Amino acid sequence: MDVEKKHFTCVICPIGCEIDVELQNGNVVSMEGNKCEKGKEFVLQELEEAMRILTTTVPVKGAKWAMLPVRTDKPIPKRLLSKVIEQLADIELHAPVKMYHVIVKDIAGTDANIVATRNMKKVNHPKDAKKDLISRKEG
Amino acid sequence: MEADVTVIGSGPAGLTAAVHAHKSGAKGVLLLEREEELGGILKQCIHNGFGLEQFKKDYTGPEYAERLIEELEKTNVQYFLNTMVLSLSPDKTITAVSPEKGLFHIKSRSVVLAMGCRERPRSSINIPGTRPAGIYTAGVAQRFVNIDGYLPGKQVVILGSGDIGLIMARRLTLEGARVKGVYEIMDYPGGLKRNIVQCLNDFDIPLYLSHTVTEIRGKERVEGVVVSKVDQKMNPVGGSKQFIPCDTLLLSVGLIPENELSKEAGVELTPITRGPVTTETMETKVPGIFSCGNVSTVFDLVDYVAETGMIAAGNAARFAAGDWKKGKNPVEIIPGENVRMLFPQRYSFKDDLILFVRSAKPIDKPVKIELSPLGVRLKRLYARPNEMIRFKVSRDKLKDVTGPVEVSITER
Repeated sequence: MDVEKKHFTCVICPIGCEIDVELQNGNVVSMEGNKCEKGKEFVLQELEEAMRILTTTVPVKGAKWAMLPVRTDKPIPKRLLSKVIEQLADIELHAPVKMYHVIVKDIAGTDANIVATRNMKKVNHPKDAKKDLISRKEG
Repeated sequence: MEADVTVIGSGPAGLTAAVHAHKSGAKGVLLLEREEELGGILKQCIHNGFGLEQFKKDYTGPEYAERLIEELEKTNVQYFLNTMVLSLSPDKTITAVSPEKGLFHIKSRSVVLAMGCRERPRSSINIPGTRPAGIYTAGVAQRFVNIDGYLPGKQVVILGSGDIGLIMARRLTLEGARVKGVYEIMDYPGGLKRNIVQCLNDFDIPLYLSHTVTEIRGKERVEGVVVSKVDQKMNPVGGSKQFIPCDTLLLSVGLIPENELSKEAGVELTPITRGPVTTETMETKVPGIFSCGNVSTVFDLVDYVAETGMIAAGNAARFAAGDWKKGKNPVEIIPGENVRMLFPQRYSFKDDLILFVRSAKPIDKPVKIELSPLGVRLKRLYARPNEMIRFKVSRDKLKDVTGPVEVSITER
């Protein structure tokens, strides 16, 4: 029977245990290097479905800055990161935006929402808006 | 104008300090920020991992900043934006300039330095080659992408494996650029392990240790870089040259505390941190001038930055209120075996000592941290230069010390 070997670096705490796993038919037959149970849990989760928080930006109009920082409000499957990024490509917001405002609900069927991670005020000053326009053109 | 406590800089250290000076009873607290918003570098650090120790929450940089700003707004702390401090004198007179006020002076009873740090540029590591467009420090690229919405390039090489470089490797990949590799001159990574895993491994971005960029090529725009392997003395190994085509080179080669104002005020700096010499109270050698956060030493966690801000502010408030005795003469805390960085560098018998140290070389075996003459103070499973070690020594344990305290990190 073929034994598949995999290596993981645990990121649960700063120690960062280097963990070696042997798998047979997808089942863990040995695990070495983890200093605690959490390391084992981490590896099992990584094998089942690696989960990550995604942070990125979406464009926002009428604000002082061009981009609004956003995040998923919970971890999503790692394999869906690029799909989520693609789904965010067409979004454009208008200031003002409140922190934790939900921008997309249940993104890509992950059950996670995309939320704003800061307040973004509306800028009324025409000079600021014009400045933004000019710099955008040059870019 | 006059102030009791003036805080210079409104990043994580300064915001925390301003809030905490108020909480410690200071009446006239003033916060000065040269940019048009509060928050400093936090606003462009859109990734998570902030406040894990301090708030037990996994915030992004902007969320962490908003939380501190909300706290600040609940106080009567006055803050001035777009305000550049031009000079600070030893008698704590601040000269600043802003579009609203023009040039103005502030006479402050105490001052908290919280100016942070800046990135080391190409010129500080002397990479040979041409001077085309497309060479950025990692933090500048971070600002372009996360705030201004520009992608600095499409084929990217990153020199240095500091945390900002690693974070940008992931960020640029998510935005559609191709990161060809991260090259690190040392034989161990510069950033935190969680960043190696989640920013490089997750996206199959290779990390080349003991490698550096030995030439930049391109006339108008970067056309590529030459990378070489280096030996143990960090000299390029002959015959190991390799040309990597790319249009962008990001530099993540270290940060330097920004101490121009400190120097002007007569604050003594130390080569150990490139920041002010301070005691456990965060007081510099100039009475009433305190220093915290990355202007003191470059920390790797924002939680530590905030903690030093809190200590500095509490003591600055006490100083401003006239509740500050000279006390016993401070003793020196000096780096011994395998200690590259150590903060603070003096102990003044006023408070518990919270000591931050960095190992000079990586030891992936159980280590002991010894404070001679007190003996072993901490045991750990490992010590790595990229990870600061924080620990507390109580005032009671230190009260009878008469000479310098030497700190060492060795295998046990």
